[in-house]
Amino acid sequence: MQNKKVVAMLLAGGQGSRLHSLTKEIAKPAVPFGGKYRIIDFPLSNCTNSGIHTVGVLTQYQPLVLNSYIGIGSAWDLDRKEGGVTVLPPYAAANEVKWYSGTASAIYQNLNYLKLHQPDYVLILSGDHIYKMNYEKMLEDHIDKGADATISVIEVPWKEAGRFGIMSVDHERRVMDFMEKPLEPNSNLASMGIYIFNRTVLETALKMDNLDLNSSHDFGKDIIPRLLRENKKVFAYPFNGYWKDVGTVKSLWEANMDLLDDACGLDLFDISWRIYSVNPNQPPQVIGENAFIKESLINEGCVVEGNINRSVVFQGVTIKAGAKVFKSVIMPDAIIGEGCIIEKAIISPGVTVPEGTKIIPAVSDEVVLISQDSINEYLSC
Amino acid sequence: MLKNSLLGVIDATANHKGLQELTIHRSPAAVPFGGRYRLVDFILSNMVNSDIRSVAIFPKFQYRSLMDHLGSGKNWDLNRKRDGLFFFPSPSLDYPVTGLGSLDHFAANIDFFMRSEQEYTIVANACTIFNMDFKPVLECHIEAGCDITAIRKDGVSLDIFLLKTSLLKELILTRHETSYLSIRDVATDPNSPFTLCSYHYDGFASMIDTVEKYYEASMDLFLPKIWSELFAMERPILTKVKDEPPTRYAEGASVKNAMIANGCLIEGTVENSIIARSVRIGKNSIVKNCIIMQKTKVEESCILEGAILDKDVIVERGAHIKNSGPMPFVIRKGSVQGAWMNS
Repeated sequence: MQNKKVVAMLLAGGQGSRLHSLTKEIAKPAVPFGGKYRIIDFPLSNCTNSGIHTVGVLTQYQPLVLNSYIGIGSAWDLDRKEGGVTVLPPYAAANEVKWYSGTASAIYQNLNYLKLHQPDYVLILSGDHIYKMNYEKMLEDHIDKGADATISVIEVPWKEAGRFGIMSVDHERRVMDFMEKPLEPNSNLASMGIYIFNRTVLETALKMDNLDLNSSHDFGKDIIPRLLRENKKVFAYPFNGYWKDVGTVKSLWEANMDLLDDACGLDLFDISWRIYSVNPNQPPQVIGENAFIKESLINEGCVVEGNINRSVVFQGVTIKAGAKVFKSVIMPDAIIGEGCIIEKAIISPGVTVPEGTKIIPAVSDEVVLISQDSINEYLSC
Repeated sequence: MLKNSLLGVIDATANHKGLQELTIHRSPAAVPFGGRYRLVDFILSNMVNSDIRSVAIFPKFQYRSLMDHLGSGKNWDLNRKRDGLFFFPSPSLDYPVTGLGSLDHFAANIDFFMRSEQEYTIVANACTIFNMDFKPVLECHIEAGCDITAIRKDGVSLDIFLLKTSLLKELILTRHETSYLSIRDVATDPNSPFTLCSYHYDGFASMIDTVEKYYEASMDLFLPKIWSELFAMERPILTKVKDEPPTRYAEGASVKNAMIANGCLIEGTVENSIIARSVRIGKNSIVKNCIIMQKTKVEESCILEGAILDKDVIVERGAHIKNSGPMPFVIRKGSVQGAWMNS
């Protein structure tokens, strides 16, 4: 195992348009999560904790915040003499400028990065998911099975299977077929968007795919079906822990709420698998005389005078006296004015909610997303 | 104001008797404070925030925890190719403690002073809690044509001195002729041949040399004026970062008037207390007027009042620790407090 090199390629160029105003100026992997983190902290910390120290991060959509957040990777201990983290944006070549048109095209255009590091295996990750996973275990399985490609899979409820890339496997977990968002799923094993390839297999497939004019250059839609057609050995690797796609406002809110539930399976307090992030270096939180807090996560630099129940509060937030925050996510540096009532809402970073504002979703199973622009709608009432 | 014209020297050799309960395992400079800091963070951050790019620390006893805390200086942006953070332990433990800024201790590291290009040097103790900009001190020092400026609060010296680096080198080299032992000696000599000046500072400052002062300064943090002055956004106090998750408040938590660092799990009641990183407060436990340091674990149904709990203490289920006396009561690092202590 020691001599087998693996390089991770983290796809972080997505816009995440279903997160609406949260991703207006930042890429989805840079969206704040869990009171202190950004989404990308999870795959990057997983890499470090799995002993993978060479990570290419593919960026495209609104990369400024993401780039400066990643920096030289020191927050994740990825500032290395060899390897480390490298941000890989689209670039101009001799004849043309090519944007990343799909997940596979992003990797194809960075085959030189893989050539530079000469890994035996390539781990493909996406920057959209909240989970803790030991990629080394997955790689061991990939090697044991003698696979060409391994796809990490999780069992999803049958009724939701149509939203995922679904595969059916034989008794040895070899993938028989793979369907992207099937109308009538024949399995509930969903792809988590985490792949390990033998580098040579990946290179060949990407080159072939690039020549295919009908291809959308996507791993799920094009590369995996291509490997299956060519009868390559593609195996499924089962994952049993917490995994959540936080692609929508609702799912982002749900994943934050999951952190308040001990049974959810995502333990941020486990020091053997710490989630690293760029630490804001603010003073401890100050809890006032009349504050009331229960079942919540609160980060450094907060000043709390009000009432917080079942909520996740990021660094530098102020909750003024008499304010009531319930089942909400308050992002960094937001100010919740006196006597506000906030329920089932995500308050975007830096938003000031004026005194006495009431924010409650109109429909009970909805979640309200408040940005500096949308706050005005609530002021008139 | 000249860029990079000040050199920082932190004297961390002091061994305050009154702090002994907290300094068995560590240098006073490394005593935890305010939930996530060490005493040295204040002087070091003040230096960095005053554009000082080269800081030398002179430690003596028990400096393992201090070195561990400071590391390469990265958290203070002092991991530089030129200048940065320097560590000069005393060459011998037998050296007498001679007052702030021991010339003998400096002499053992004279090369550092010879190599440094900064025109002025500020020599400070490691145990003062304050947030101060040293740039105006330098301006006054130059304008008034002083040789040595002592920073004072309410007339009392804060044991922080500013002088020309060339004068400092001269004092080091001529120490046997002048029989000055320390910078403090020079600055307090009534027959001094030098122009001695005072700079009056009116912000909050507390020099921590006894457990009482430690407790008092800790409780002062609850005064909003002092809090906002010490932790001013534009001059942040920097410290070693730890990657702790946010603090988790459980169902039965009740927290009022408290300062709580990251990574804690609070299941009980906390009032008028300072809780450091990764502390656990168990169900039905009550913590009042306490200072609890890193990683200490208070199990279920304990009652703690008026105590300072050092790092890694375990307070076992049902233990009662009540301090009725005027002296804050220190529970030593790593100790286990059983329920049998009830009294």
